[in-house]
Amino acid sequence: MYRYDEFDHQFVRARTAQFRNQVERRLAGTITEDQFKPLRLMNGLYLQLHAYMLRVAIPYGTLSSKQMRQLGMIADKYDRGYGHFTTRQNIQFNWPELTAVPDILDDLADVEMHAIQTSGNCIRNVTSDPWSGSTADEIEDPRPTCEILRQWSSLHPEFTFLPRKFKIAVNGATEDRAAIRAHDIGIQIVRNDEGEVGYHVLVGGGLGRTPIMAQSLNPFVTREQLLPYLEACMRVYNRYGRRDNKYKARIKILVQEEGIDKFRSEVEKEYAALTPADIAVDQEEIDRITAYFSPPEYEDLSDVDTDYQRALETNAEFKSWNDNNVAAHKIAGYAIANISLKPIDGAPGDITGEQMRSVADMADSFSFGEIRATHEQNLVLANVKKADLFALWMRLKEAKLADDNIGLISDIICCPGMDYCALATARSIPIAQQIYERFKDPARQKAIGEMKIKISGCINACGHHHVGHIGILGLEKAGVENYQVKLGGDATETAAVGAVTGKGFEADELIDAIERMVDLYLDKKEGEERFLDTYRRIGMDPFKEVLYGAA
Amino acid sequence: MSTLKHKGKGPQALTANGLRKGPVVYLTPDYVWSTDYADALITEDAAAIEKMGETGDRDEDANLIVGPYFIDVEADSGLPARYREKFRMNGPSFDPGQPTHIDHNKARGALIIGGEK
Repeated sequence: MYRYDEFDHQFVRARTAQFRNQVERRLAGTITEDQFKPLRLMNGLYLQLHAYMLRVAIPYGTLSSKQMRQLGMIADKYDRGYGHFTTRQNIQFNWPELTAVPDILDDLADVEMHAIQTSGNCIRNVTSDPWSGSTADEIEDPRPTCEILRQWSSLHPEFTFLPRKFKIAVNGATEDRAAIRAHDIGIQIVRNDEGEVGYHVLVGGGLGRTPIMAQSLNPFVTREQLLPYLEACMRVYNRYGRRDNKYKARIKILVQEEGIDKFRSEVEKEYAALTPADIAVDQEEIDRITAYFSPPEYEDLSDVDTDYQRALETNAEFKSWNDNNVAAHKIAGYAIANISLKPIDGAPGDITGEQMRSVADMADSFSFGEIRATHEQNLVLANVKKADLFALWMRLKEAKLADDNIGLISDIICCPGMDYCALATARSIPIAQQIYERFKDPARQKAIGEMKIKISGCINACGHHHVGHIGILGLEKAGVENYQVKLGGDATETAAVGAVTGKGFEADELIDAIERMVDLYLDKKEGEERFLDTYRRIGMDPFKEVLYGAA
Repeated sequence: MSTLKHKGKGPQALTANGLRKGPVVYLTPDYVWSTDYADALITEDAAAIEKMGETGDRDEDANLIVGPYFIDVEADSGLPARYREKFRMNGPSFDPGQPTHIDHNKARGALIIGGEK
């Protein structure tokens, strides 16, 4: 993975020192809260419902074991022993004290981490496919591109005060595991007819209160053109994006209001006016960065491991975990091991300091010391020998991280909701827990198959409810939590915004309502259909009928 | 005059977050800030509400607290009227932290900010 160079170290240290001074001035009263608030937000520090919250950037979700151990140390030393992985592949600490934050940032800088680009109207931390580098359907590993974008966007002086925040996701495989169509700019790595690798740039996607899927802006941008082309896009947005209304300030509104053709012609005009060579990275630099992501030293293995096969045949519990959590690797004898952060008694994405250290140790033993965070709030060891999977699973069990529910109905994306968030209108964590409780029977979960339930505790949609197969939005109606249901959302290459079923449900009715929809699906499903496929085939009406009775 | 407005009806309490540690705090009858809602000054008296607002402004200027605002209180139960404020008072309904928010406050006793202490 990427290692900081001198420049990276210098700017992160300088920024940390600067923030320490800003905190000192705030505590001494020489700057007011109004002056301090934008400064702390630029360093990932929010004031939430109960306490401060620090959001730490994990560039494209990639972490070393050393970094994970440091996050565990921070959880124990400065917080209450845990952290929370977010839908942006970042990690949040829910209880830091303001006076401790400069020390936390120093400790993060020690392991090449920071909390920049996790808040504010800048280009946020770039996100990507958590299986990068390990799948056979990959056109190219997206991480070098992500790292180039990180270096370009971090503290970019021109894009520090955009009309609104700006999120970029990069996907390098044919399957979209980075939800690129739900981003301000989505970048799909493609190969053209000449065999040249380049980028399909999509623009104007986003969730929030106005969910829109990104549209195609340019089907093929070459490697050399990428940064100048993005710079042109950002300039057009920076100039014309609406600053008069916070709720209309995202690029999706600009693209929608102006139309994609007009937006494209503005980008082309801007591109023609700039000097691409001033912005583009040269081949030498691309090669230097790409070298950091060279494949690890895979062993030359047979794809069949007899001990592993025997364990699968003799241990049903291991087999269940293997079937649900392990994905195929491009290299013979290797596998991708997904670690579920969705236990029945926890909050989706939560992990204790001790578990962070355990995962770090497992990464060192089994996956070249590297860990990925996913936007679905799980973790990944992307390069595990099949021969090591049983030993890994034993360690996961010991660490209480062996839930075998990846991709199933209990693998729920869920924002912190009213339990932690100052913006929330209802709780989301208890809903996720109640759904898991209702569907905890493993055989039933398997029969239901792939199911993406996504829960947001307010219309800002951090829990991605617009793109859930079943999406749930928590609202408050006269002091009572009320949950709106959406169906048919999809965050992948077949992206779609879900449709609202109708009237919302109170918490105690909601789980029954979900169960009725799941039972309907099981009754109507044909062949290998997933819930989403059946919904697409039979439409909304039958679901409405089980939810609300005959019309 | 206080810059803090309240649009609510009935009894009022004044809440904020502590600046240094960030906890939810309530203004007490001694015009200091406590992390325990049971200590909160709850009143309908216009003069008292004016003084509460002034204290909020003063203590924000004195870098003790952040973002003071009035909350409506239910006359019968004495609890915050708004759903959100009930959560702010109680802490998270799911709290994996060690110790939990509630245990932490119990163990340390209410944190008092301001006054002579």
